[in-house]
Amino acid sequence: MISKLKYYLKTILLVELFQGLWLTGKYFFSKKVTLQFPEENTPTSPRFRGLLALRRYPNGEERCIACKLCEAVCPALAITIEAEPRKSDGQRRTTSYEIDLFKCIYCGFCEESCPVDSIVVTKNMHYHFEERGQQIMTKEKLLAIGDKYEAQIAADKTLDEPYR
Amino acid sequence: MVEKTQFVLSEAAKSKIDSWLAKYPPEQKRSAVIPALHIAQDENQGWLSDEAMEAVADYLGLPKMAVFEVATFYSMYNLKPIGKHQISVCTNVSCMLKGSDKIAEHFKNKLGISFNETTSDGNATLKEVECLAACAGAPACMIDKTYYENLTPEKIDELLRGLSST
Amino acid sequence: MTNATIEIEIDGKKLDVEPGSMVIEAADEAGIPIPRFCYHKKLSVAANCRMCLVEVEKVGKPLPACATPVTAGMKVFTQSEKARIAQRSVMEFLLINHPLDCPICDQGGECELQDLSMGYGQDITRFSEGKRSVANEDMGPLVATEMTRCIQCTRCVRFGEEISGVRELGTLGRGEHLWIGTYIKQSLTSEISANIIDLCPVGALTSKPFQFTARAWELTQHPSIAPHDCLGSNLFIHSRKQEVMRVVPRENEKINETWLSDRDRFSYLGIHSHKRLTKPLVKISGEWQEVEWDIALRTVVAKISGVLDLYEPSQLAALISPNSTIEEMYLLQKILRKLGSNNIDHRLHQSDFSDQDDQVLMPTLTGMTLEEMEEQETILIFGSHLNHEQPLAAVRVRKAIQQGAQVFSINAMDYDFAFDLAGKIIENPTSLPTTLASLIQEVANITAQSLPEFFTASFSGKNPSETIKRLAKRLVDTKRNSLLLGELAQNHPNASTIRTLSQLLSTLIPLKLAFLTFGANSAGAWMAGVLPHRQAAGQTISTPGLTIHDALEKKLKAYILFGIEPGKDLAFSSQALAAFSEAETLIAFTSFSDRVLMERAHVILPISVFAETSGTFINVAGTWQTFRGAVTPRGEIRPGWKVLRALANFFGFDEDFRYTSSEMIRDELQQLTPASPSSSHPQTLSLHANFSPAAGMVSRIIAWPLYQTDSLVRHAEALQATPLHESPRLHLNQKTADKFALSAGEMAQVNRKEIILPVHIDASIPDDCVYIPAGFEETAGLSVPFGEILLEKASA
Repeated sequence: MISKLKYYLKTILLVELFQGLWLTGKYFFSKKVTLQFPEENTPTSPRFRGLLALRRYPNGEERCIACKLCEAVCPALAITIEAEPRKSDGQRRTTSYEIDLFKCIYCGFCEESCPVDSIVVTKNMHYHFEERGQQIMTKEKLLAIGDKYEAQIAADKTLDEPYR
Repeated sequence: MVEKTQFVLSEAAKSKIDSWLAKYPPEQKRSAVIPALHIAQDENQGWLSDEAMEAVADYLGLPKMAVFEVATFYSMYNLKPIGKHQISVCTNVSCMLKGSDKIAEHFKNKLGISFNETTSDGNATLKEVECLAACAGAPACMIDKTYYENLTPEKIDELLRGLSST
Repeated sequence: MTNATIEIEIDGKKLDVEPGSMVIEAADEAGIPIPRFCYHKKLSVAANCRMCLVEVEKVGKPLPACATPVTAGMKVFTQSEKARIAQRSVMEFLLINHPLDCPICDQGGECELQDLSMGYGQDITRFSEGKRSVANEDMGPLVATEMTRCIQCTRCVRFGEEISGVRELGTLGRGEHLWIGTYIKQSLTSEISANIIDLCPVGALTSKPFQFTARAWELTQHPSIAPHDCLGSNLFIHSRKQEVMRVVPRENEKINETWLSDRDRFSYLGIHSHKRLTKPLVKISGEWQEVEWDIALRTVVAKISGVLDLYEPSQLAALISPNSTIEEMYLLQKILRKLGSNNIDHRLHQSDFSDQDDQVLMPTLTGMTLEEMEEQETILIFGSHLNHEQPLAAVRVRKAIQQGAQVFSINAMDYDFAFDLAGKIIENPTSLPTTLASLIQEVANITAQSLPEFFTASFSGKNPSETIKRLAKRLVDTKRNSLLLGELAQNHPNASTIRTLSQLLSTLIPLKLAFLTFGANSAGAWMAGVLPHRQAAGQTISTPGLTIHDALEKKLKAYILFGIEPGKDLAFSSQALAAFSEAETLIAFTSFSDRVLMERAHVILPISVFAETSGTFINVAGTWQTFRGAVTPRGEIRPGWKVLRALANFFGFDEDFRYTSSEMIRDELQQLTPASPSSSHPQTLSLHANFSPAAGMVSRIIAWPLYQTDSLVRHAEALQATPLHESPRLHLNQKTADKFALSAGEMAQVNRKEIILPVHIDASIPDDCVYIPAGFEETAGLSVPFGEILLEKASA
């Protein structure tokens, strides 16, 4: 009997409607979480594993020494390296360093294995290919990415340093 | 590394080497390599040039490498030209405890050179050596083949004056 | 045997070992691992790395397993607490000065120190002082150095002292400052020097041509056989992505032990030469045109049929390199004989063929094994630069000397052997047979045996020299004697006389005759029948064909060359060039573009080289060694046997050429019953090329230098850059030079400008002789291999 009465009262007084409107009103006036995507980005961790890059030392010398550990550790066999003594000074250097981004699974093992912090995964994830073949990242492309984002990469690596 | 010099073992040197060779079995010519190198060094203004080592190797019938190994092993052989006098300062434990560091420093200041260098006038070469077996008279040094013990800066000044006058 | 062994216990495992052996040997045999750096089973024990420390019961301190002889009832613990502490401490010591630069070190991934540091090293170093560094030395084009990485195990030093016989490396300085160096910065000059690359347990000595190009884990290993000298050294080809990256030795105690000569190790560099021909070529109105295989083969058939239609089949001749596989040889002779010609030969360097019918089935060590070579008591090296011709046979001879053997040499040049000779005779090549005869005379005198009529009729009265007397006495006194006949003896214009005399000598005293032949497969060539007078398996022929000399001299209408560069590979090179220029058809199976060949050939068929083909070599001990191809040849290059089989099909010989693998060809040859030709040597002796140089003339000595022996070696750039490679010059001694008023460096002409070369004064040449190396384009024009030549100052 009483429960029936309650039901009618709730229905007539539109309690649930006002409850819903209250929630709507709460969100209407609270801080917004929506981002204007191309202009704005969600925050990412310094450990985010995105596009790969090859780094240089501050004096411009490429870091990679062609030890081929990344090639060996890569579970997707995405990395191909050719090496020989550099013509100018006989140092161990790569003549070609290629990563197939279709094969790459962004596991970050290459970065883990690199003894000279040369190959790194960057935060960058906004890239696309328009033609077949562009997914092969050559040494030049990878170094260019490294040069472009060096400040960001250095900052990320410094943040992650205490946990390594 | 150094200029090429002519070197031929003199007859006197050969007979000296022969007297050493006589002490060992004929098939053990290698045993005489140390005295032979000393003899060659004395004949070559106190140092062993490549040619001097080769002459010893040829005379003893040894591979050049075998002679070179011995010559590089001992600090008594000089592989670079040295000055007229060779000053060997001991810096080993006994001498060090008795202040050989200061003695060495004094030598360096006075001569204006550091270890393993020769004065610009070619008069003296300074060498750091291990124990001279003169611990009782520490700190000690050896100039050419004479020992001088209980060194003090004053004594060194006097020694060096003596060297430059000869 | 069992009662002579003693019982020891290692890690609780009871072992029967030979007394006098070391603990590490016993452990190795039982498969118990003991870490080590300085110990190597082929080298003396140095015990200076201390890595092999083990605990021995009732001994206070841990002992080095490599230098501790076994004793009865000994109990050894390799894994006990004490042993492990000792081993870990040694590893810590070794790593104090060893740079941790594994990522850039070429040894990374196959480094003994790296491997062992995983088991015995510590995670962190307690050593915070600076590491020492050692200056590098340039050791030539084969070995790269990084001496800071050296852990002073002295394996390389002991190798030079004990195996190669050339003390190139030494331990210099002492204590903390000990370093390995060469004598006054010299390049390595031993022909087996690159073995120190394998010996070095760390990355101090690495292969220079291979430097930084691949990692051990990327390589695929293929067993194969060395294609250059008659030992047939066993090796592994390491390839990556269908490319040969390097060659390393494969252990075979019977042949090469654990070593490999530099020639066998680095000749693979020729495979990648830019001079490789990758497409079949046909010359159309003087221009080379790249064509498909079927067109090329059709052209070959048309050209040869054209010659056969017009002339006798005997106007066709084929020459094949003795470095070809027996499959290639067998097929080529089969095709040629089907076409009706017997003019086929592989004896490119020889000039005397008069006793060919009396020769044995194939030239070998005549029953001796290479291991037995070490056990000889007296060895006579006759006409051979053993160190250059068969570098690893020289290692065996050196070991024989270490065990008390005496080695004598009778040669036309005073070669710089890496071992001490008990006596040597250096003389004009023309008098070599007479010297051998005087030795026979002396041996017969001592043993009071009578000599056959044919001998006494030809040779008498020459007084034996002091050395001959000593050698004869020694040969009679010892039981295990051998006579090594090298290339000079076999290429000599009186080679048949030398062979007959050698055989005569072997009837007087116990003596093993060893024919150290040129090329990897000379024995195989005899077996496969690439001879004008014998078929496969030594079957005789009623109408023998022309020998290589006659086939070139007679200027036939058509020639087939297999793996030959005519200016460089033939003794009668100028005759060959003339014959090939005039021939109507010259078909060349070749791997490299050669100027002289390209000018004269009409069809070029690009064939594979070593590592790209399967096949079989028969080595000088008579062992058949089959190998498989390691990589696919690039472009249109095809294995020689496949090309020959296809060619046979184009000729219409389908019936007998249904081979689908090289093994089928080998099996067919192997199933033939080898004839046993009468090894009775001829009962006459003639010195058909007996001369002493007339006034104004000198004797030419010919030899193929170490790195000029075949086209593959000639295209291996690193080998061509070693100090052992010399540009072609006229080598003569001071006295001869004075006689002709020539001085060092001056240009001189031979035989009225056949060739013009600079003079080089060389004290190792006897009087009135000139050594002119072969294997160069510059010396191709000379028509005299051995014999009189006219030497003059070059006229302007």
